[in-house]
Amino acid sequence: MLGLLAWLPATAQRPAAPAARYWVTFRDKGGQTLQPATYFDAAAQARRRRQHLPAFDSTDLPVRPDYLGRVRTLTDSVTLVSRWFNAVACLASPAQAAQLRRLPGVRRVEAWPVHPLLAAHRPSAAGPLPVRLPAPLTPADLALARRQTAALGAAEFRRAGQQGQGLRIAVFDVGFRGTDTHPAFAHLYRRQAIAATYDFLRRAPDVYRGGTHGTEVLSCLAGQLPDSTFLGLAPAAEFLLARTEQQGRERYAEEEAWLAAAEWADRHGADIINSSLGYTDRRYFPEQMDGRTSLVARAAAMAVRKGMLVVNAAGNAGDDPNWRSIGTPADADSVLTVGGLDPDTFLHLDFSSYGPAAGGRLKPNLAAFGVAVTAVPGGFERAEGTSFASPLVAGFAACAWQQQRDLPVMALFDRLQQAGQLYPYFDYAHGYGLPQAAAFRAVGPPPALPAPTFDFVVADSVVSVFIRPEAATVPTYTLPLLAATAPQTALGAVGPAAGAPAAATAPAAPLYWQLRDATGFIVRYEVLEVSQRAVLRVPLRQLPSGGTLRVHFRGYTASFEAP
Amino acid sequence: MRHNQPLLRLLALLLLAALPRLASAQRVLLRADPATDTIPGRYGPNRAFYQHLYLGYTAVTGAAAGPGAKLRYPQSAELFAGLRNKWRVTGSTAVGLDARFAYLRYQLQQNSTKQVPNSQLHYRESLNLTQLQLEPFARLSFGRRGNVVGNYLDVSAWGGWALASNHSYEDRPGQGQGTRTLVREVRPAYLRRWNWGLSTRLGAGRYALLARYRLADTFSASAPAAYPELPRWLLGLEVGIF
Repeated sequence: MLGLLAWLPATAQRPAAPAARYWVTFRDKGGQTLQPATYFDAAAQARRRRQHLPAFDSTDLPVRPDYLGRVRTLTDSVTLVSRWFNAVACLASPAQAAQLRRLPGVRRVEAWPVHPLLAAHRPSAAGPLPVRLPAPLTPADLALARRQTAALGAAEFRRAGQQGQGLRIAVFDVGFRGTDTHPAFAHLYRRQAIAATYDFLRRAPDVYRGGTHGTEVLSCLAGQLPDSTFLGLAPAAEFLLARTEQQGRERYAEEEAWLAAAEWADRHGADIINSSLGYTDRRYFPEQMDGRTSLVARAAAMAVRKGMLVVNAAGNAGDDPNWRSIGTPADADSVLTVGGLDPDTFLHLDFSSYGPAAGGRLKPNLAAFGVAVTAVPGGFERAEGTSFASPLVAGFAACAWQQQRDLPVMALFDRLQQAGQLYPYFDYAHGYGLPQAAAFRAVGPPPALPAPTFDFVVADSVVSVFIRPEAATVPTYTLPLLAATAPQTALGAVGPAAGAPAAATAPAAPLYWQLRDATGFIVRYEVLEVSQRAVLRVPLRQLPSGGTLRVHFRGYTASFEAP
Repeated sequence: MRHNQPLLRLLALLLLAALPRLASAQRVLLRADPATDTIPGRYGPNRAFYQHLYLGYTAVTGAAAGPGAKLRYPQSAELFAGLRNKWRVTGSTAVGLDARFAYLRYQLQQNSTKQVPNSQLHYRESLNLTQLQLEPFARLSFGRRGNVVGNYLDVSAWGGWALASNHSYEDRPGQGQGTRTLVREVRPAYLRRWNWGLSTRLGAGRYALLARYRLADTFSASAPAAYPELPRWLLGLEVGIF
């Protein structure tokens, strides 16, 4: 359905045979050259220099015009030209496709059906597109608005002057209706921080139409409440807004729009791509979530190779028995996949898609609040979905990258994972957990290594986990400066061992444990509420052969090897 | 009481031993077993095997092969409900077997030319068959897709046995003082109880357009030769329940 607009000119000129979409890959780019100084935006050139990438490589060269010309002559309906994949998407009849296969220079012609790309947004009861002004925010909403960034360490970044300055973030979404007039983004327009916009469906610069999902996502990067509270961590960054899919009445989108937007973002110097989208079962099987099957996954991997960090929502299929796992492009290894956390418990939200990716690969990578206050036309509202966790982490990444600007993208990727609250512990619901700004502290002492908080004790056929007395204390509660940063649970088990500043906003620390087999695959994991020091007993026979029992409590992770 | 202390200790030990062996006394906030819940499924709309219920309506289409058996439309129709079993062969092909109950009604027009099953006129009259049918089919699907039914074309052959058949009519006013009289002639010999034919479906997701062609004759050899063959085509809609 998304391709309909692109089809119109072609079908108008060539109405003869029913056309299907095809993906035509060429063999070479012989004779093509590129002037990177003119083709790439200055920011794109700078990004490549910073990351020690060549000014351009063969994937940046244009598609051979003679090859392109032949395809245009034969089909007259080319909808996408991809330099990265040396390919074009076009509409053609089966007979034309057969002719395409015989053209010189054509490596492959694949049928390329149109399929939906779904926003990783969980519509609230009020529906995804509010037709009325949203209700005023409640005190609880205002508290959440502060906590959604405070939990990531917004105060630490702010003190260090890191709010995404000098970073350029591309946001791919279903539309940004109301963004240009919403007071939450007035500060962006005042300083002309919207560097470029493009609607890849209508092929026009106006993106302020379609759905409001993009507006909500952007607000989790740089939106601002009337009381000056920022809803995201990168209000000082620059933004590229790309409309790559449709929602509502025009709900469906295509992968090629995502690819086109990624190439556009590369050319315009994006450092980070935030994409709150994902394909699931309408086109793929869970076992195809291998990062190599879908075009969007391959496009995202290519974007990372160009030096851009791609942050993608894990998806909202966690409570869908027919899917449950992450979609694509979140399945790509080099895509930073973000799951959703409950702001009250800091634990996995039921709807947040689970890992692992196909082949048992670790996904999601990180997690952030999957319930957030967002800007919508006419005001603000509370929304839920991993769509909003993703920009929160993208903003975090912008601040981290600002602090270490020369970090190669995959080194940043690793550092972001290491900043996870659970690191080095990992599970398929939380990834490495909520990233903490303290891990990127520029000045002052680095975060201290966590002290052991528990011990393994083997007795007979059981391995038990006992929390150490010094980690089992519940300190006297101290009033915070603002109630918004107060613990959200009455358990109050925030102890000195938690250490990190974010502990002030966190609820009681639970205990995470898992059983891993000899290959590292997590065969079982749990999160336990801690109400006694003798917290866990695991029969040794339940440990996989050659596997481990891994436990995490209050920042400390340790493993017990199966005997 | 003192002599009971060893017994109490023994009881306490037994209780401890009987405590849950794993994570005792702790509330589980989240639990997952990837070893079992991430195994690629073999069952699903586009997996090796899939099974679902369906129901539908097909209207008898066309006219009888001769005079004397004009039908009323759309009352002349078949309602059916069944179970579909589908086995995937390749990404785009599958085979399957349907089992269904089908209730077929031929509602006869009451006019002066009527000959089936006789020339008597009634307020309402019909020939009814309740059938158990089996239908093996072959499916060709279009386009790459995930674990969804998608768009498809089925071709099939079907056959069935009429578990019940009858000729029913209603007279108004009824006999005697009755306002109406309902008469049901069960298993009339002139109705053939075995039926078979060909069918095709064009579907998208749970909805499908359906055409069935009956190869078997409606009437048995014992039927009067003047009985015209009733319409062979059934056209309608089917809805999958999944």
